[in-house]
Amino acid sequence: MTSKPIISFKSISKTFPGVKALDNISFDVLEGEVHALIGENGAGKSTLLNILHGIYNEYDGEVWISGQKISFRNANDAILAGISKVHQEVSLIADLTVGQNVALGHEPKKGPFIDFKELHAQVEVILRRLRCKFKSTDLVSTLSTGEMQMLSIAKALFHRSRIISFDEPTAALTENETRALFEIIRELKANGITVIFISHRLDELFQISDRITVLRDGKYVGTYPTPEITREKLIQSMVGRDVAAFAERKRPGLKTDEVVLEVRNLSRAGVFENVSFHLHKGEILGFSGLVGSKRTDVVRAVFGADPVTSGEIYVKGKKAKIRTPKHGLKHGIGLIPENRKTQGFVANLNNEDNMGLASLQRFSILGFINRKRKVDSCVRYAQELQLHPRDPYYMTYNLSGGNQQKVVLGKWLTTQADILIFDEPTKGVDVGAKAEIYRLMEDLLAEGKSIIMVSSELPEVIGMSDRVIVMREGRVVKELRREELNEEIVLHYAMGGTERKP
Amino acid sequence: MNMWNEWTKRMGREMGLVVALLLMIAVFAAIDPIYLSPGNLLDIVDQSTINGLLAIGITFVIITGGIDLSIGSIMAIVIVSVGYFLTKSGMNPLLAIILGILTGAVIGIFNGLLVTRFKLQPFIATLATMSAFRGVAYIITGGWPVLDIPQNFRDMMDGDLVGNFPVSIPILLIFAIISHILLKRTRTGTYIFAIGGNEEATRLSGINVNFTKVVTYALCGVGAALAGMVMLARLGTGEPAAGQGYELYAIAAAAIGGTSLAGGKGSILGTLLGALILSALKVGLVVVGVDAFWQYIATGAIIAVAAYFEIIQSKFGGYGKKWFGKKAG
Repeated sequence: MTSKPIISFKSISKTFPGVKALDNISFDVLEGEVHALIGENGAGKSTLLNILHGIYNEYDGEVWISGQKISFRNANDAILAGISKVHQEVSLIADLTVGQNVALGHEPKKGPFIDFKELHAQVEVILRRLRCKFKSTDLVSTLSTGEMQMLSIAKALFHRSRIISFDEPTAALTENETRALFEIIRELKANGITVIFISHRLDELFQISDRITVLRDGKYVGTYPTPEITREKLIQSMVGRDVAAFAERKRPGLKTDEVVLEVRNLSRAGVFENVSFHLHKGEILGFSGLVGSKRTDVVRAVFGADPVTSGEIYVKGKKAKIRTPKHGLKHGIGLIPENRKTQGFVANLNNEDNMGLASLQRFSILGFINRKRKVDSCVRYAQELQLHPRDPYYMTYNLSGGNQQKVVLGKWLTTQADILIFDEPTKGVDVGAKAEIYRLMEDLLAEGKSIIMVSSELPEVIGMSDRVIVMREGRVVKELRREELNEEIVLHYAMGGTERKP
Repeated sequence: MNMWNEWTKRMGREMGLVVALLLMIAVFAAIDPIYLSPGNLLDIVDQSTINGLLAIGITFVIITGGIDLSIGSIMAIVIVSVGYFLTKSGMNPLLAIILGILTGAVIGIFNGLLVTRFKLQPFIATLATMSAFRGVAYIITGGWPVLDIPQNFRDMMDGDLVGNFPVSIPILLIFAIISHILLKRTRTGTYIFAIGGNEEATRLSGINVNFTKVVTYALCGVGAALAGMVMLARLGTGEPAAGQGYELYAIAAAAIGGTSLAGGKGSILGTLLGALILSALKVGLVVVGVDAFWQYIATGAIIAVAAYFEIIQSKFGGYGKKWFGKKAG
């Protein structure tokens, strides 16, 4: 099949404060193909899509569609030009009907009023075409996640889109729903619609795509016809040497036999069940698992951020009652949460206030803060963490992702916590800062601290952990020792594989 | 130079307010020089005390991202109960004042518990208590005013200190200074700003967010109690209908002073200047003989203009840029 390019990206670059998200990206998407876009987290896939869909309208370079240079002012411009997006998290209005959501803003009118009969008739045609089981008059709030996604596709068809992109469409779908989705994508393709498909699941890409473009750290790596590339080759080009080389223990063997934290049969009704593990002094205990494995929920509960229904936590051999973050803090546990902006730091405070926030008790007498001690402490940790800029009065909000992460880490170092829980420590952090964070983790181990690390990035979990707990659907399915670790075996258990001889 | 930059960055908003206040005074003085007479200037300050006390109290709550609509009704409860302490029980005025402050604090704590324990939105919780507390004030007196407030109490809360200088002004200043220190120098103050900036991150820093919030509502209640007692002393009678609509002027003073209703931002000095600007405007319009109805429009305009300046400052000015800066790094 030789067809002409429908989309041409020409030298696209996009910079966010502190991060170069896209760096001189050029490639073509051919008309009527299913074009997969892959890369690690932060490789720039979503940023590129957002440019295509008019969500970001300031960037360097040009986007050409069907031989014309485009400049969308907003997402609506893109939709009108026939480019639709099926969202990761579908943004729908729950209290309106399916038909109203599909036609939102473009309803057929009869005089000044919406012609509901016509609207539902039009939408119903599309729903039948997609073989949906729900009706145009159903309320969106009654649909399942998979059905909502169908609704998004229906919306794209309603706007007669020629190009439809899917950003991680299968993340929240069951196997059957995924199969149904692929059926539909094939049908869209048969109707001459071009599909752009982002997914982390390699198997799916091999099933559905015609060509695969790989991005890495905002740079273009290459475009490969799917039948001509192997899984191994693809992973290699995705990971490159960058991350894999950094996520490597320079100093293994800091682990001791002393148990600093023991969790017994921790459960939270409906979320996770009977989770038990222990953490040694000087080790990194990795938590791995797919989306929905509830890793984050477990570690948040250990810190006291979320409630538990039963189970016990022992800190340094003593039973600890941890019900709120305040208790976690008291027992020397710190949480560096997944989302820095919403959970990690306070936007209207500067570095010294953010770093001191959890330790004000120590910096104050009778409630009055000794500002000098607080600033001195901040300066010391800023030095240790190589914060940039090192100014204690700089607003944390304006730092780059990696440096914001350091401030949050600094907050817990200031409390002198011995047990540090890192939830996705390098999410949204550029490659250089990643390496620094890994080094810092090792420094902390050398100082006698212990680390729990939740991570979705396999190279990171495998490279850094002394042991890995693999979780699946709220249960611990396997504990792996460092010498047993590789991507394949972790994924095997995470995806529900049974015990086997390696 | 650097220090000057730092200082203007920190004080930018307050400096702007001082300039606005001086400009306003200059304009009114140009129209009628009597505006500048000591008696009139004193009147401006005097007229800002009740609103100032309320506004300082509510500033704490607003910085956490909350709101307290019930302060006018809290005032009324304090007014009639302190009135009864003094007349029916013949209580020592100093003791009555202390009990009045405690009453305000306890009622504030009640608001705080509705917001934290029962998770009601602050606007709804205090909208409910605004009505309920008003009812309580009426029930206490059966709808009648409390008459014949003893002179010794009136002297303590609003008597003349020297010449025509009323004691209520130092009361306002002392409350302002304590509040300022609390906000800028103590742990609780930092927590208040942190909660307004990011409640979840604050909670995850091991801070008892609910307790801190209750404290702000208690402080707000204390402000309302002090305002109520100044009013009681000034009028000599305790009306259960007193203080209706005062919450809006208190919020206006805080907002003019740069306190963000979204939380995380504000200062006591700003609020105080906001209250002064409102009363300078009100007194000025009376002095130059503007019809009373127009005063409402002028007050509304001032609030809108102040809010607009806030936006401009956030976009282009000193620390505004640092917070929301497009040009970061």
